[in-house]
Order: sequence, then structure tokens, then C-alpha cells
Amino acid sequence: MPSVRLNQHSAIEFDGTDANLLCALERHQQQVNFHCREGYCGACRCKLLSGEVRYLTEPLAFVRSGEFLPCCSIPLTDISIEVP
Amino acid sequence: MAYTTFNRQINDQLKEPMFFGNPVNVSRYDQQKYGIFEKLIEKQLSFFWRPEEVDVSKDRIDFQNLPEHEKHIFISNLKYQTLLDSVQGRSPNVAFLPIVSLPELETWIETWAFSETIHSRSYTHIVRNISAEPHKVFDDIMLNEKILQRAEDVTRYYDALIDGINLYQRCGEGTHTINGETHTISLYELKRRLYLCVMSVNVLEAIRFYVSFACSFAFAERELMEGNAKIIRLIARDEALHLTGTQHMLNIMAAGDDDPQMAQIAKECEEEAYAIFRKAAEQEKDWAEFLFKDGSMIGLNKDILCQYVEYITNSRMQAIGLKPIFSTTQNPIPWINTWLVSDNVQVAPQEAEISSYLVGQIDNEVDGADFGDFDL
Repeated sequence: MPSVRLNQHSAIEFDGTDANLLCALERHQQQVNFHCREGYCGACRCKLLSGEVRYLTEPLAFVRSGEFLPCCSIPLTDISIEVP
Repeated sequence: MAYTTFNRQINDQLKEPMFFGNPVNVSRYDQQKYGIFEKLIEKQLSFFWRPEEVDVSKDRIDFQNLPEHEKHIFISNLKYQTLLDSVQGRSPNVAFLPIVSLPELETWIETWAFSETIHSRSYTHIVRNISAEPHKVFDDIMLNEKILQRAEDVTRYYDALIDGINLYQRCGEGTHTINGETHTISLYELKRRLYLCVMSVNVLEAIRFYVSFACSFAFAERELMEGNAKIIRLIARDEALHLTGTQHMLNIMAAGDDDPQMAQIAKECEEEAYAIFRKAAEQEKDWAEFLFKDGSMIGLNKDILCQYVEYITNSRMQAIGLKPIFSTTQNPIPWINTWLVSDNVQVAPQEAEISSYLVGQIDNEVDGADFGDFDL
């Protein structure tokens, strides 16, 4: 079960009950910006500090290296992320 | 060099830059330099909708019952949206098509502008429904000082680029005397105008539109003008895609692999890019003041809308690698997100009271018995 470390402190477990990382973050009362939830608007862009994620659908939004979209991805390993 | 609608020169399209290379000859998509634009086209086509599909008849009653100051907010907002889409329905074609060099990008620009024309037609659909005299609403757009001020900044960068392209394609680089007036143009200057134009389009789509969406959805949050909100939601879904398109263009330009000069221009224009964002945010705040001059509405007032302007400006700047200019970090109207989720857009036709649902339905099952009472 991969853990998701947020902004260098609290960590949550990604236990598979959530469809994607955005849902998991929301279920743990983390405020993440979002619009489309389908990977094409890029509103939920976060920084991926360490670890790996897998995209469920390839994002259409521009994603810089070191960034990822939680709305259409799940963690492959333990990850550390920064939510703006 | 002059524009040609079918460039006879045999070229490797994969080696062309996005803009100012050879004009496109064969519109082929079997090979793509930037596959993202093909994906955007496919997504945009999958979003296709028509304004007539949305029943706005209940809005007429809602509108008649609105207090005067809310009527002002609603109509002014709609006029502003009409202006923005009037510009966006034609300008990407006129400005970018003569200089584009990649078939997938060329088709994306056409697909993008086409979807804006649907938005324009939907405003007429809305206005016809709420007003017995739609011409008064549209006529006022050309007379309304507040809207015209915005039009100036929305169109300035397009016009400068188009003017430069006309001169360059007719006369080439250098100083030219035309009708007694001297004009100077260089390819570098044209590229600079292109970069600033795409930047200003990004601001239009990523900030100006969203400020207007907030107003449209604020009515619907109170279960008013819901037909209008359904249409705006479809428009917002398209706009999210368009601004992704312009963000890709800006980021490809800034990276420099496509055209090293563009990367240099992106650096040189950084100050100007900040200024474009800053000015747009100021204008949108002025606009908020005009909207709410006679009073606020439940859920939205001048201050909240101004905070949203700051929030959305910051977020859009970060998307293209600029630093935020405002201290606001929280979305003051989190309820807007629910209206922007694409999942929620599609509803079953029979649930949405779509008037065209049964129009044009054809029964393909034909039986011999169907001709039983048919005589020649």
C-alpha cells in the first residue's frame, strides 16, 4: 500500500478505495484545486518530489517534468508531493 | 514570403517549426511532430454540442423576476461573453493560419475557432429567449464603454500580428513605403508579436472567460437561469481545452527545441507577459466594480469576484512557468469547481428536457407490411 507524503509532513495511505490520487487527497480533507477531473485542464497540477505515479488516462494538459496531475493518476511507489 | 494555400515544395513536416516555416501542403496526420494537437482535436470533436439542445425556456421567467441590478449583472456578463467569443471565433484563423507550418496544429486552430463560433451562436439562443428585443442587447455591445475598453486589449495583440504578417507576406523583411507611409518588419519582430499574441489569448481564455463563468454559475447556484448555466458549462468545458492548447503552444515556444529564436523571445518578453497578466487582472476587477455597481447578488459581490480574479490569475501564471503576482492562494468560490467538472456535463437527453431530442429520429426498420396501403 503506497503512502503519499504531503508538503513534507503528514502522510496518507493510498489503499485502493479511491479511483485516483485526487479522490484520495479529498477524502483526507486535503484542499486541491480541480476543474475537469479528466486530465485535460491541468487545474490540479501538483509537484512530484519523489516516487512514481501511473496515469490511468494520459493527460492532455501540459505537465512539466517534476509535476503530475492527481486527477488521473495513482501512486506506483511511496510518493512525496507538494500541493500548491 | 507569400502565403500559398498548397505549398509545392516537398518538405519534411516533422522538421518544420510550429510557425513561420513552410506553409502546410498535405493535411496529413499519419505522422505528427506534436501529437498533443491531434489529441486536442479528437477531444474537442467528442465535446460537440449545439445550443438548441439546451432548453432555456425556464430562464425567461427567472429573468423577468430578477431585480434590476441582477438583470444588469446578467445581461452585462452575457454581452462581455459575446464580445470575447466574437473575437475568438475569427481571430485564431486570421492570425495563425497564414503562418502555421504543421498540419496537426493547423487543424487544431480551425477546430478551436469553430467551437468558438458555436459559443457565439449560443449567446443569441440565450438572448432571444430572455428578451423580446434581442437586437437591443447586441446593439449595445458596440456602444458600451466598459465593453469597448476590454475589446481594445483583447484585440490589440491579434491586430498587431495580423498587420505584421500582411506586410511580411507581401513585401518581405525590411523597410517598405506603402501609400507614402514607411513600415518596417522583420521575422524576429513578427515572432515577438506572435508570442505576445498567444500570451494574450491565453489570458483571455484562462482568466477573462472564467471571471464571466463565475457570474453565470452564481445565478445557477440559486437555481436561477439554469438553462444559461448549462450552456455556459458546455462553453467552459471547451475553454478548458482551448487554454490547454495555448498553454502547450507557449510552453513549446519557451522550451526552444521547436524554434530556438522563440525561446529567446520568450525570455525577452517575460516582463511584458507579466504586464499582460497584471493588466487583465486589473481590468477584470474594474469590470467586477461595473457589474456590481447597483448592488450585489447572493453568493457573489465585487470583493469576492476580485479575489477570484487574483486567485485564477495566479494559478494560470504558474501553469506557464510565471510566478504568481497576488497573495491570494485560496479559491474564494470553491463551488465553481462543481460546475467545471466535465463528468457532470453530460446528462441523458430525456433528463435534460432537450427540445431536439426527438427531432430527426428515423426508424430504420422497414417491413414489407409498411407498404401494404401504398398504391401507385
